[in-house]
Amino acid sequence: MNETNPTPPPFPPQIPPIAPPPVTPRAPGENPEDRLPITSPITAIEAILRQPRRVMYQLRQPGAGALMFYLMAIAIVCALIYGVIVGTFSLKEQLWIAPVKVAGGMLVSALICLPSLYIFACLSGSQARLAEIFGLVMGMLMLTTILLIGFAPVAWLFSQSTNSINWMGTLHLIFWLIASLFGLRFLNAAFSYSHAKSNAGFNTWVVIFMLVVVQMTTALRPIVGTSPTFFPKDKKFFLSYWAECLREGAEKTWPDTTR
Amino acid sequence: MPGQSAKLERRELAVLLHGQVDSLQSWSAQWNARRVISHLAVIVAGAGLYGAAVGWWRDPLQALYTAIKFPLIILLTASGNALLNGMLAPLLGLNIPFRQSFLAILMSFTIAAAILGSFAPIVAFLVWNSPPMSANAWDSAGPYAFILLTFVLVIAFAGIAANFRLLQLLQRLGGRTDIAARVLFVWLAGNLFFGTQLSWILRPFIGSPGLPVQFLRADAFKGNFYETIFHTAVQLFTFH
Repeated sequence: MNETNPTPPPFPPQIPPIAPPPVTPRAPGENPEDRLPITSPITAIEAILRQPRRVMYQLRQPGAGALMFYLMAIAIVCALIYGVIVGTFSLKEQLWIAPVKVAGGMLVSALICLPSLYIFACLSGSQARLAEIFGLVMGMLMLTTILLIGFAPVAWLFSQSTNSINWMGTLHLIFWLIASLFGLRFLNAAFSYSHAKSNAGFNTWVVIFMLVVVQMTTALRPIVGTSPTFFPKDKKFFLSYWAECLREGAEKTWPDTTR
Repeated sequence: MPGQSAKLERRELAVLLHGQVDSLQSWSAQWNARRVISHLAVIVAGAGLYGAAVGWWRDPLQALYTAIKFPLIILLTASGNALLNGMLAPLLGLNIPFRQSFLAILMSFTIAAAILGSFAPIVAFLVWNSPPMSANAWDSAGPYAFILLTFVLVIAFAGIAANFRLLQLLQRLGGRTDIAARVLFVWLAGNLFFGTQLSWILRPFIGSPGLPVQFLRADAFKGNFYETIFHTAVQLFTFH
């Protein structure tokens, strides 16, 4: 009989490392705090900053109309306040024209893009209803505009210390871009929680929305400067308008303020 | 008791400078008017003394103006960006109330001001040893450059030390280094952007020898820092 004594392997058998369980973000409503109703505008602001999933969850519940109204009303009020800050550059009638254009422009841009977002959501397999998507877009606008209020002291300081419309326009655009980034992040999170299979549709919509907003700034021009008429007389695409502004700005001589 | 109060303030300042995170965390969690006033007092005194030392080289009156302007920049930056910083923290993953973010930033500014104040005697000594500012700018170019470099180095050191303490506090509050670093970076960017323009408006701090001593230049609100830098760069590269 050949007894085989199996020789031990030179190395002890390797134990595969235990992979940590994949971290999946919890869906809205899984956390009991998400189920707390949002009963006032202040609660809505607190919730969108600290518990965005609470807003997402509440928008899915029956009777979310009041919350949607809060989101829209806060977005309009904040846009109006920021518009006043924009108007302080030119003062006079721009103090009411700029707020109306900023608030109106944002709201109209969102409403123009709302149907396409719904279509993209459906195509991506999202289960969100149109009303819920409307609420989420209002939430995005609210978050964007309350962040703009945060930028308001900085914007006001700069508007008092420059005569360059180009500079102020660029600065407002940068602030809007930063604020929109957070607003769109909220919308993206809500989109991914609505069982959407792909983000391609949402990303396409983001590009469309941004283009619509920048074109809106041209369609409603001037917002920072002044004009004898409320709406511009000629129609322009935003790229040609910006190029024109930059050319005009470069031709001007700059005062020596270096001392 | 004033003696006891002063002793308490000194101990609190030591806690701030040591960066005792437990204490800083509990201080930032609740609004204590006496503590906030003591922090404001440190900012006014520390940054004011440093400002006085900086402005002294030009003129005693400029020293007074700069002593007012340095604390003003710190306080206006902290309050002007308070709302934005308070909103950005939870959006970046650090779920702290507005009050806590404001107090955390105020504490970091207090540390910076205390460091600046501690360097004020050294800077004053340096200025005392420097040749007086000449009406001919070329004669003062060497000392001017050296003094300016020293000022900037001290401010940089104070800023780095204060923000290191702030980072430690944010790590404790958020529990994660990446979140703390992200929040600190965004706060720093915002404060730098706003603070730079405030400094530009509130110039001069030393002042050119050929120009009068003033609290604000007549063209303080004409043009801004970034616009001027951009314009200078354009001129430089287009050889105008």
